[in-house]
Amino acid sequence: MTRTDTISALLLALALAVGAASPAAAHKVVAGAYASGDRIEGEVGFSDGSMARDVAIEVFAEDGRRLGETRTGADGTFVFVPTERVVHLFRADLGGGHVAEVRLEVEDLPQTAAAPAATTASPATPSTTPAVAPANAAAAPVGVVPAGIGDLQKAALAEAVRNELKPLRREIIALKEKNDLQSVLGGIGYIVGLFGLWFFIAGRRLAKRSAG
Amino acid sequence: MHIVDGALSMPVLVAGSAIAVAGIGIGLKQMPIEKIPAAGVLSATFFVASLVHVPIGPSSVHLIVNGLAGLVLGWAAFPALFVALLLQAVFFGFGGLTVLGVNTVDIALPAVAVHYLCRPGIVRGSPQVAAIWGAIGGALAIALTTVCVGVALAFSGEGFVAAAKLVFVAHLPVMAIEGVLSGAAIHLARRVKPELFEAFSPRPQGA
Repeated sequence: MTRTDTISALLLALALAVGAASPAAAHKVVAGAYASGDRIEGEVGFSDGSMARDVAIEVFAEDGRRLGETRTGADGTFVFVPTERVVHLFRADLGGGHVAEVRLEVEDLPQTAAAPAATTASPATPSTTPAVAPANAAAAPVGVVPAGIGDLQKAALAEAVRNELKPLRREIIALKEKNDLQSVLGGIGYIVGLFGLWFFIAGRRLAKRSAG
Repeated sequence: MHIVDGALSMPVLVAGSAIAVAGIGIGLKQMPIEKIPAAGVLSATFFVASLVHVPIGPSSVHLIVNGLAGLVLGWAAFPALFVALLLQAVFFGFGGLTVLGVNTVDIALPAVAVHYLCRPGIVRGSPQVAAIWGAIGGALAIALTTVCVGVALAFSGEGFVAAAKLVFVAHLPVMAIEGVLSGAAIHLARRVKPELFEAFSPRPQGA
């Protein structure tokens, strides 16, 4: 049966291709955004680890209103100072069909970005802080710091925590983008199964036709 | 080579999906039963090939091998590549579900074009000639794919020339690699299994 030889040759080629595949790199845009003090920090890059340098980031509200724009720096990070307490959509167009969109919910916004514009950007204002503090898990410990610590220390503490978390965030993004062997083999399994099913249906139809 | 969700406008998505459905229909209808296993294997090859990355400058592009699929399968490349693209979207997050139709067209339509352009040379000539036609087919499929992507982006507002140029230049190394790969594969198939192409020549199929 020569057909099986052909198939096995193709399968061998496939196996070689699997061996050559590096699961770590994938050409896909990844982006993240998170509150950082009174600003929103984010980063845009490709899933193979390279970052998007000097790319325009447009910021929209949920209803399509344009809130502003910013640019990524040399390391692919960007900073945006929110002025309204609405859902923020960050959109980066890297060209060639690569678009990244990040959605930041209201409860993930920086605590200081309160709706009344009069009190924004003043973390010391006591009236705004307790109202929104419990929502943000990362910044929650800052809210319960004893009164003995001044705002300056609070800010320094928050900054330190953020810097500690940065590599963790990166690692989580990288982990999300990982294509491990399981999903590769799973996908191949699906393909084999689907085409097997198709083969089965086609074969049954053929048998029915020749019988009838 | 996957356009992602949100990059294209609605009319482009609808048109792409319509063409993809038509192509898949033709492919399923024309498919002789003995072609199905080969379609499955090439579908799996395409699925895995996208994980083979060619680093270029700051970014990287991946292999596509739609030329080889087209040369062997013809219209059947549509369903084969569609299944692979669907699974890539689900498993790896390549592209997306709304752009699935457009991506299928971008990749399968060049495969079909290559099938009609290069196949006669592969079936008739000596294995050496067939290898050259295979190489041309492999490279041409990528070139046509970049053009299709450029067109899809152009209809969605991005400047065609700029978009197409960017994608085309980025894929020059892929064209070279796929040309060699397809040429070698066709050469091997012609020498070892010449009936791969004879058996798969389109034949009238009773409905």
